[in-house]
Amino acid sequence: MTSALHRRAQLTAIAELRWRMFLNGLRTKRGKLELLSRVIVTAVFTIGGLGAFVAATGFAWYLVSQDKAEYLPLLLWPIFFFWQVFPVMATAFTNNPDSGDLLRFPLTYSSYFLIRLAYGLFDPASALGCLGLFGILLGTSFARPALLPWALLVLLTFALFNLVLQQTIFAWLERWLAQRRTREIMGVLFILFMLSFQLIGPMIERGGKIPHPQLSRATQIVTQLQAVLPAGLAANAIAKTTHAQFLSGALSLFFLAVLTTATGVLLNLRLRAQFRGENLSEAGAPPAVAQAQGLQVGWNLSWFSQPVAAVFEKEVRYLARSGPMLLTLIMPVFMLLVFRLGPSNPMRPGSNFLSRTPELAFPIAAAYSMLVLTNLLYNSFGGDAAGVQFFFASPVTFRQIMVGKNLTHASILLANIVLAWLAIAYFWGPPAIAVSIATLAALLFAAPLNFAAGNLLSIYSPKKRDFSTFGRQNVSQTTVLASLGIQIVIVGVGAAAFLVARLYNNLWIATLLFLVLAGISIPLYVFVLGRIDGIAIARRETLLAELCRA
Amino acid sequence: MDAAPTISTEGLSRRFGELVAVDGVNLRVAPGQFFGFLGPNGAGKSTTIKMLTGLLAPSSGRIEILGLDLSTDPVNVKRQIGVVPEGMALFGRLTGAEFLSFAGRMYGLDRTTAAKRAAELLDFMQLADQPKKLVTDYSHGMQKKLALAAAVIHGPKVLFLDEPFEGVDAIAAGTLKSMLQGMIARGATIFLTSHVLEIVERLCSHVAIIHQGRLVAQGSLEELRAGVAADAPAGSGDGAAASGEKLTLEQLFLRIVGGTRRTEQELSWLE
Repeated sequence: MTSALHRRAQLTAIAELRWRMFLNGLRTKRGKLELLSRVIVTAVFTIGGLGAFVAATGFAWYLVSQDKAEYLPLLLWPIFFFWQVFPVMATAFTNNPDSGDLLRFPLTYSSYFLIRLAYGLFDPASALGCLGLFGILLGTSFARPALLPWALLVLLTFALFNLVLQQTIFAWLERWLAQRRTREIMGVLFILFMLSFQLIGPMIERGGKIPHPQLSRATQIVTQLQAVLPAGLAANAIAKTTHAQFLSGALSLFFLAVLTTATGVLLNLRLRAQFRGENLSEAGAPPAVAQAQGLQVGWNLSWFSQPVAAVFEKEVRYLARSGPMLLTLIMPVFMLLVFRLGPSNPMRPGSNFLSRTPELAFPIAAAYSMLVLTNLLYNSFGGDAAGVQFFFASPVTFRQIMVGKNLTHASILLANIVLAWLAIAYFWGPPAIAVSIATLAALLFAAPLNFAAGNLLSIYSPKKRDFSTFGRQNVSQTTVLASLGIQIVIVGVGAAAFLVARLYNNLWIATLLFLVLAGISIPLYVFVLGRIDGIAIARRETLLAELCRA
Repeated sequence: MDAAPTISTEGLSRRFGELVAVDGVNLRVAPGQFFGFLGPNGAGKSTTIKMLTGLLAPSSGRIEILGLDLSTDPVNVKRQIGVVPEGMALFGRLTGAEFLSFAGRMYGLDRTTAAKRAAELLDFMQLADQPKKLVTDYSHGMQKKLALAAAVIHGPKVLFLDEPFEGVDAIAAGTLKSMLQGMIARGATIFLTSHVLEIVERLCSHVAIIHQGRLVAQGSLEELRAGVAADAPAGSGDGAAASGEKLTLEQLFLRIVGGTRRTEQELSWLE
């Protein structure tokens, strides 16, 4: 068999394997529920994507038909940022199975590379990004049908660039976060990056005070700069062609292709290392002589039993050794920094909404902190994998195990909230006492509700996850759907409470409402916790089958 | 007869849909026995051990460990037993010392005792030379030793081991065997499944054989030999049993489960 035929046979076999796995999954009730959830989640994303698609179509049509194609970057940059940032911000929604399992087979490197890219296409961010680009293609083609082949070529190249870049970011982040030394370097770089953000705000602020010609010059520089970056190049390739500047348009596409290739080379470096069987474990260089270690006594939590303290310690150690998870958990503070990037003058039309309404910063940061925690909370046993057997074999109730895990979740949430409060106080001034208390009251309602739902879904719909990989996780669609629904309810209730308070011009009303709701959610949490043992025992076979499989 | 059994089951059964994986098993394991539980692949060994350790619910039947009913008093039972299940039940992103200390505390030891025993066990199992190594980076044999260490850290009265010697080198196997024999000498009861019949023959005083979900033999090796000799048809011509020669466990096993070896079938495409 020739190598091309062999590769095609392998790729077909993998596609058939995934199809067969999908069909076999439908044999169980849980599999059917997963399918239903997948359909609903896809529908939710599709509705959002269709909105963006219609907007992109309309806006692109307007720009091209009005001869304003040079403004196309306004459409392409948001798509670029969404495509690259969403998977990092919301890893719970990424569904990207680990292709590393396939390496045991005589797979050629090119097949492995292609499979990684193909798996990347199934990511919601990629699907929605493609939908947005398709909207631009339609809008452009409606306005000027002759542009269709060229726009198709440009947008396909841009889509490929985004796909390759997303995989490159994941692959390199995973590499840098895998080992203590590189993790520390990443940590320092991240802090420097954050400090640089501190400088951008004042610089932009000063930009508002500088005379108009200088501001125009600055804008011109930014415009020129973006024109040599991927989204700008793609926009230019189309815009120049609409103005009959074919050579310039072709050059832009050429440079976009060069950037795509360069990014592909970076991805190739990583994937080739993986393909060769790279081991990123900490055990790469064992010490020549055994290090004398003192007795490592476990942590003590005075108010909690030994098993709860042991589970808490284990959870914290797990998280501390998971770079990807740590990065996800610090996202709330990072997002505040991003918002701080915008000018803070409330009278300026371009200023971001947190600068215009800084009183919302703390509630939003708290809500986002809760949201990123759901990634961990709704699949508590995912990282334990086969270790979950230990819980069932040990003389400890699942209630105690859940308390230990929830204690970790609550500590992370608290740490995030405190950090967010401090960051907000530093960026925009301390949040008002009434806002702070209302937000904490909202958390008293939201956290127990999420914890209760998370504990149930962790048992009813577990998925094994590898804490050391980034974005290559197979998530449970049932969990995604339930988590999405619960967050919508919580955000809806929170917004309604704040609206009522605003209506009466008294924020304490919101606090009161949240405390009343907490009076329902806390007993609900206790109720679920009280029944968790029975549920875990009843569901142990599913739990063990899902988490202990090789 | 003798003292109350440490492990006893009555009519233990487990169905998976139409399949009856374990069918009415009645086991008796006396205190201090080193008990080998054997059977061909898919016979129901792992299913039985999972039910005995509370990892799987029986469809019917009753399990008593140390006189306690597993279904009504699981926590008290688990407090007195140690388990090395099929998947080893390790937490990969802890170091060996952290995992053992964690295991000890989950079994009710105080922090200091758990840490001291963890250090002793790591030393005994020759796992102490790379203290910062994560369990996920251990070799298979090292993981087996660690899983066994975690199962014994609280000094259990009964130990359940599912294939403890699988993938373990001769040196590590020697360490494990001496530890298990030491536990038996101190009065513990050990229940193990293994495909390595030589090891079972050397270690175990009593054996049970399960085949297609049913218990087909149970007793000491001598009792099993006697049973096979009695069942051997007169003039069968098959050496050992008739001539009074001592059958090995492998021969006993093959006789009882009726195994045949496929020697006549050839896979011609295998070079």
